[in-house]
Amino acid sequence: MTGPATFARFRELLDERATDESPVAFGRGGARTRRDLAADVSACAVRIAAGGAGRWLLCSDDSYAVATALLALARVGAVAVFPPNRQPETLRHLAAGAVGVLVDLPGAGPGPSGLETLAILGVPAAGAPAPNRFDREAAWVEFRTSGTTGDGRPVRKALRHLEDEVVALEERLGASCPPGLQVFSTASHQHIYGLLFRVLWPLAAGRAFQRETLLHTQELLPRIAASREASLVTTPAHLKRLAAHGGLRPLRRICRTVFSSGGPLDAETAKAVAEQLGAAPVEVFGSTETGGIAIRQRDRDGEAFRALPGVELARSEDGRLEVTSPFVSVGDALPDGRARMRSADRVELVPGGGFRLLGRADRVVKVGEKRLSLPEMERVLAGHPAVAEAALLVLDERVHAVVVPSLPGPPELEPEQRRSLRATLMAFLSGHFDPVLLPRAWRFVVALPRDAQDKIPHGALAALFADRRGRRRRPSAPRIVREGRRGDEWVRELDVPEDLAVLEGHFVERPLVPGVAQLDWVLDTAAASLGRPFRLIGIETLKFPEPLRPGRRVQVVVSFAQNPSRLRFQIRSDARIHAIGRARLGDAEPGARRGEPS
Amino acid sequence: MKALEDEIKELIIESLMLEDVTPADIESDAALFVEGLGLDSIDALELAMALEERYGVEIGDDPERNQQIFASVRQLAAFVSENRP
Repeated sequence: MTGPATFARFRELLDERATDESPVAFGRGGARTRRDLAADVSACAVRIAAGGAGRWLLCSDDSYAVATALLALARVGAVAVFPPNRQPETLRHLAAGAVGVLVDLPGAGPGPSGLETLAILGVPAAGAPAPNRFDREAAWVEFRTSGTTGDGRPVRKALRHLEDEVVALEERLGASCPPGLQVFSTASHQHIYGLLFRVLWPLAAGRAFQRETLLHTQELLPRIAASREASLVTTPAHLKRLAAHGGLRPLRRICRTVFSSGGPLDAETAKAVAEQLGAAPVEVFGSTETGGIAIRQRDRDGEAFRALPGVELARSEDGRLEVTSPFVSVGDALPDGRARMRSADRVELVPGGGFRLLGRADRVVKVGEKRLSLPEMERVLAGHPAVAEAALLVLDERVHAVVVPSLPGPPELEPEQRRSLRATLMAFLSGHFDPVLLPRAWRFVVALPRDAQDKIPHGALAALFADRRGRRRRPSAPRIVREGRRGDEWVRELDVPEDLAVLEGHFVERPLVPGVAQLDWVLDTAAASLGRPFRLIGIETLKFPEPLRPGRRVQVVVSFAQNPSRLRFQIRSDARIHAIGRARLGDAEPGARRGEPS
Repeated sequence: MKALEDEIKELIIESLMLEDVTPADIESDAALFVEGLGLDSIDALELAMALEERYGVEIGDDPERNQQIFASVRQLAAFVSENRP
């Protein structure tokens, strides 16, 4: 039987008598239908039941095998444990208390020693079907939250947590993913975002998903281009590179929706995707503990995230986001099955059930889908005998380290010493952290930069890496937070990034935004206010009273008293005025962008 | 071929902004990803873009073949010399 795809609860997906030939998965391992899935789940469940209900490590790169294993585990009432990485130390650590390891095919990859290894696919059914112990309340999946080897906290999800979230995703986003659409992904199903978006939601909604994860743009894009309609589940680091040089443009009529999660997506990339595909990516905000919280599409929602159906938001007294939803599996349990958790994200609530992110309260970051507590890595680093003090920051989606060495001798390290110290510390950290989290660049200094309050300013740390700027694609413009008319004035609010392109070579040790860049922002804002391009005839007065450092939010204020050729402007932040002046404008010459000086 | 290998080592260091690594530190036969130089999937995307830009070669859509090509500097050099326009 084939027919229009319909939404199926996980319990229905366990029906062994399924004769439905609608596609479930496609890719290198071969196409699979609902009927194949039912048979594979049934065969796998028999073998898992024989091994015993309990915790099973799930080590597979094939999303179809993962779907099969999860449904088989649900059937026998067992739990899948997703290792955060495949490093032997991690697997050994997780093997304690596990029944066995599930791998793709017979003979695939050795599991941790002493554990039974069981192939999910490729073994024909033998024996009577396993009894059906499906229970929505039972624990189903266990994740590790941190990229730290071994000791990330386990987060357990019951079946209902994931099922309810899948229902909510379909309700909010199903319309943007028509039936027959194929789901491609660069995000791993080992983490909750990938598991939900590339496996469980498509599975329930009857959309076929890609089995393998393709590493290279050149492998992925032609495969998407060959499909009739597609969606792409990806992460900021990948999306940024996929969208470079207009790479997604050939998919304009094919790729209906792009999902991005696992870290903040820069505005530049969101804009590039919108230009190339006709719609901005759907950015998903959530965490392992809370599940999905909110989504935004920058071209529709601006900076504000909108709560998913069923999610209730509040702001705690200390300004952090408080989430109450049926998907939260950690925190205070409520009698109605929901739970409440306070996140470390500082937010500003907006009317209509949404929020704007203001930053993290705890310096926990995500790099390459892995969560990292910077203070934790700083503590580990400081525990090394060669390190007196260490501070970390993230630039360009990579961890960067600033270290005060405790080596005897002159404060300045010779290149050879620097090299060997760096190698020593990298080897030391690699015993504790996932490789993608290891610092990509190191600076060894005599003392960490500190301000009057004895805090380490992010901007000053970032400045130590200024020589690396401009060598990689990155945000080059300030981000517009909001803008609009306020009385006689037009006000544009900008977030000035730490690594603004115009900062290159500009006082490396104390980065300042050059006046010419500030003037540029003024002219852009004036054009937005007038709603048309113009020609700059002359600047009448111009002062820069207070230096402007990057990493701030500023307001660009323009007004035209009574005369649209007389521009008055200011750039200010809080009570400070960074730029103030007056200019004369004329009509734009045909074809002029705006404000070319005459 | 030795010259091209050295050039590719420079390109890797430059495009991935590796610090305190010289071409001499990268062995032509050593694995680039995971072990060896320890590059990851984000680096793979970056490096593929750099190779296409520098040499005008096109990386194909066959994952097995690409895995071979990106295995080491020697493999990359062989690929570039066969495929540059």
